[in-house]
Amino acid sequence: MIALLRELSWPELRHHPWRSAAALLAVMLGVALAFSVQLINQSALSEFSSAVRSVNGDPDFELRAQRGGFDEALYERVAAQPQIALASPVVDVETQALNAQGQRVPLRVLGLDALVAAPLSPALLPQLRKDADRFALFDPQAVFLNSAARQKLGEPADGALLRVQTPLGFTELRVQGSVAAGGAPLAVMDIAGAQAAFGWLGRLSRIDVRLQPGADRDAVVKSLALPEGVRAALPDEAAQRVSNLSRAYRVNLTVLALVAMFTGAFLVFSILSLSVAKRQPQLALLGVLGMTARQRLKLVLLESALLGFVGSVLGLALGTALAALALRLLAGDLGGGYFPGVTPTLQFSAAAAAVYGSLGVVAAVVGGWVPARAAQRLAPAQALKGLGDTAPAHPALMRWLGPLMLVVSVLLALLPPVFDLPLAAYVSVALLLLGGIACVPAGVGLLLGWLRPPSNPLALLAVERARHQRHTATIAVAGVVAALSLSVALTVMVASFRESVTQWLDTVLPADLYARAASSTSAGDVVSLPPALVGDAAGISGVLRVEAQRVVQVSIDPRRAAVFVVARPLPDPAKALPLVGDLVPLPAGETAAYVSEAMVSLYGAAPGSRFELPLPDGRTIRVFVRGVWRDYARQFGAVALAAADYQRVSGDVRINDLALWLQPGANLPGVQQALRERASARGFDGALLEFASVAEIRSTSLRIFDRSFAVTYWLQAVAIAIGLFGIAASFSAQVLARRKEFGLLAHLGLTRTQVLTVVAVEGAVWTATGALLGLALGLAVSVVLVHVVNPQSFNWTMDLLLPWGRLALLCGAVMAAGTVTAWLSARSAAGRQMALAVKEDW
Amino acid sequence: MQRDALNAPTSRSLLDVQQLGKRYGDVPVFANVDLHLAEGEFVAILGESGVGKSTLLNCIAGLDTVDAGRVQMAGTTITDLPEAGQALFRRAHLGFVFQAFHVLPHLSVAHNVALPLLLLGRPDPARVQQVIDAVGLNGLEARLPQTLSGGQMQRVAIARAIVHRPQLILADEPTGNLDPTTAARVLDVLVAQVREQGAACVLVTHSRAAAARADRVLTLTATGMFEGEGATQ
Repeated sequence: MIALLRELSWPELRHHPWRSAAALLAVMLGVALAFSVQLINQSALSEFSSAVRSVNGDPDFELRAQRGGFDEALYERVAAQPQIALASPVVDVETQALNAQGQRVPLRVLGLDALVAAPLSPALLPQLRKDADRFALFDPQAVFLNSAARQKLGEPADGALLRVQTPLGFTELRVQGSVAAGGAPLAVMDIAGAQAAFGWLGRLSRIDVRLQPGADRDAVVKSLALPEGVRAALPDEAAQRVSNLSRAYRVNLTVLALVAMFTGAFLVFSILSLSVAKRQPQLALLGVLGMTARQRLKLVLLESALLGFVGSVLGLALGTALAALALRLLAGDLGGGYFPGVTPTLQFSAAAAAVYGSLGVVAAVVGGWVPARAAQRLAPAQALKGLGDTAPAHPALMRWLGPLMLVVSVLLALLPPVFDLPLAAYVSVALLLLGGIACVPAGVGLLLGWLRPPSNPLALLAVERARHQRHTATIAVAGVVAALSLSVALTVMVASFRESVTQWLDTVLPADLYARAASSTSAGDVVSLPPALVGDAAGISGVLRVEAQRVVQVSIDPRRAAVFVVARPLPDPAKALPLVGDLVPLPAGETAAYVSEAMVSLYGAAPGSRFELPLPDGRTIRVFVRGVWRDYARQFGAVALAAADYQRVSGDVRINDLALWLQPGANLPGVQQALRERASARGFDGALLEFASVAEIRSTSLRIFDRSFAVTYWLQAVAIAIGLFGIAASFSAQVLARRKEFGLLAHLGLTRTQVLTVVAVEGAVWTATGALLGLALGLAVSVVLVHVVNPQSFNWTMDLLLPWGRLALLCGAVMAAGTVTAWLSARSAAGRQMALAVKEDW
Repeated sequence: MQRDALNAPTSRSLLDVQQLGKRYGDVPVFANVDLHLAEGEFVAILGESGVGKSTLLNCIAGLDTVDAGRVQMAGTTITDLPEAGQALFRRAHLGFVFQAFHVLPHLSVAHNVALPLLLLGRPDPARVQQVIDAVGLNGLEARLPQTLSGGQMQRVAIARAIVHRPQLILADEPTGNLDPTTAARVLDVLVAQVREQGAACVLVTHSRAAAARADRVLTLTATGMFEGEGATQ
């Protein structure tokens, strides 16, 4: 076999280096994309977990409550428990600080008792600056920054004063050294100082606990008789939660990368099909000389495996480089926002390289299978006489395989998510694509069965060739179907999502101007606006109406991300919220809650049901779900309550955001300035108010949306390019196989233009057939993406929108490109020497 | 030299090849070839392998360029025509029979035979059936070429060559791929049909037996065309 590779395959490779290079490139890009996504995800997760570990330390367990914390009296009980060796109290606050330019930087502040925290969390042990006093460690005004905080805050000098936001305004803390903990910007200070500065007197966020050797964790927890709202959590819970949060996003990225690998396999298929068609006479002669059909199969499979191997090795190298570049430029989440503050370093994995390298080889071998079978099926005597290709060996099997895959695909699309992932839906999409492509020959056969032989000689040649040798043309059609269905599906999905987001923005942004106190939602616990500002704002000239909103985060399930509680006036929920479905009447005496779709899929909070909603202070209230609304801002759940209800049950009257309706022609800068002045008069630094007009929020949101989906446009372009390359390869193969036919037609008096027209018309008809099938299949795939994959991945739904104009343009462009490609393929074979082909005596 | 008494050629000239020369790059193929053919005349051309017999047929048909001389047929100088004009001329006035049959594998026997008429825009199923019957393929009209024997395929090719009543048939080793018995039968059909249609024919062959069926036998050499078998410069 090696000798055959050397004597048959190597000369072919040398003769057409660019064709082989294109196949290598396709495999390489597929492997590179998939491997780089894997490396980026793995590096980011690993870095994030390590950052979480360095901040959380190494306790046996942590005692935690809701964001509002719990009574510090518990600490005395915990510390006194004889089975507990160490107990470290922690105050954990999300706030913001000002950098040298006066810009706000999100900052996490940890208040610790340095003496007990050191053995549990060595990375949080403050390192005093050179000339600092030893007791600075316990100075309530001293703060110690990690490297990310130093960098974001503009490298403040040791001893410098840092302005940090507290509930009462800004306070000044002195930078007295550093901490080694990695991850997002972090400041460590003495626990007493933190409690005083951030309004946490008498309360703790958590207690890190290390047990005596041999102590039973469950028994100790039970003996502590924890108060309501406090629970024992495992230290790796946060890392696991982030892993879960980003999992659907990571899996979606990986699936997209695998799609690239699939298209790479299709290119290998096209190129090897062309190569086999070109070498048909040689293979036929070798068959006559004694080469078995199985040897021909093995030879082509070996060629595809070699292509796959070399492509994979190059792909792994390129993937590693891409991952390193992406980690440096885009951080670890490729813009997804799941790993805040983490700048991971590349972590190469030999196991992952082996898996993705093997996948590349498998993809290439799968791509080479059909041409290898064609080489195996070759009837040497017939081929030597130039009597064309043989039909596939199992047409009956193929006839049933396609419809069977389509039926299974529909059934799979109806299944629920597996491990919170739309795994069945992914398989459904794959089967839909493969089944649709497998149906192409039978579908074309059915179509041609109804067609009578035309009297026009050019049409007769095209139709009869299609009727009797349709398996050759179906390769080209399959290429169009594969490329176009992917593009149509992505186009419909992105257009549907964008339109749904646009409609959603219209509903959730009814006001003209928005003002907020903090740039990050997590800092909302510390930073809030004076409640009296609502009345003040309403009195500003040009302001018609003002609404305030309070947003807090609570944890319903520790394994999942926090849920947002949004408290705002809801006089008419049907107008104020982008509801999905109708509202359920509220039973008397109950508190109404309006939940986002994620609450239904993650917590089963269906309309008409009741659930216990935690409050930031650890208490829970029972709420009645009146309706479900669409929320594209909070993937892991949000609960909207009427502001009056929230304030009544929680006692929390703070506000974070203001929405202002303005009179027509109102002076926008004037209104903003007046509001800043009113805020300052109420004790809130008005300069720190952030304003955004509805147009700005809208355009920013849509810009972020378009950036997030830019990768899909590239994928579409790649899919179309690969599809066209497949068409070119397929038509080239057909034209090569038909050189004698063209020669004969020249003898019979067909002009070169007419021969080119025959091929171009065939190309147009086949591409149009492929475009129609691809459009139908793409629409089916888009239905699964929109109605199954998206809700199961991201817990939100969207309306299916069919952008017919863009789809028609896409199909038209593919048809035009397919026709031109076929025409170009025929040009080389239909030269002046065309007539001489009849003398080829292979 | 033999002549069919019933189908003697008329004296009207059909084909006039004058001083034709052909070379591939620096390699000369033939030069100074003259060939004159009267209407209905059957001429056989012999020659060593590689001397350019098939190339000569291609040059006559306007399928290959010439380096010297000209080809005139029925008042038209084929070598002066543009490519499209040459194609149209072939379509209307020439018929071809090849050594390797060259029937289109995806067309039925009837469609293969009908193709020249369809190309001329004159579909004529009765005529198609007539020539199919004439070459002895009655009942095989719907069959695809893969299911035919070599002799049957060559009959399809002969039927296709004559169906549109061309003035000249160019036959390039039409019996080269057939056993002697089948070759003789196919040649019978070819000669009979050519005579019956009143067409002229140029038969390129290595077979002296085939050549013996022609009105005249010529020999092609690198330096020109000569009367008689085995003639040399």
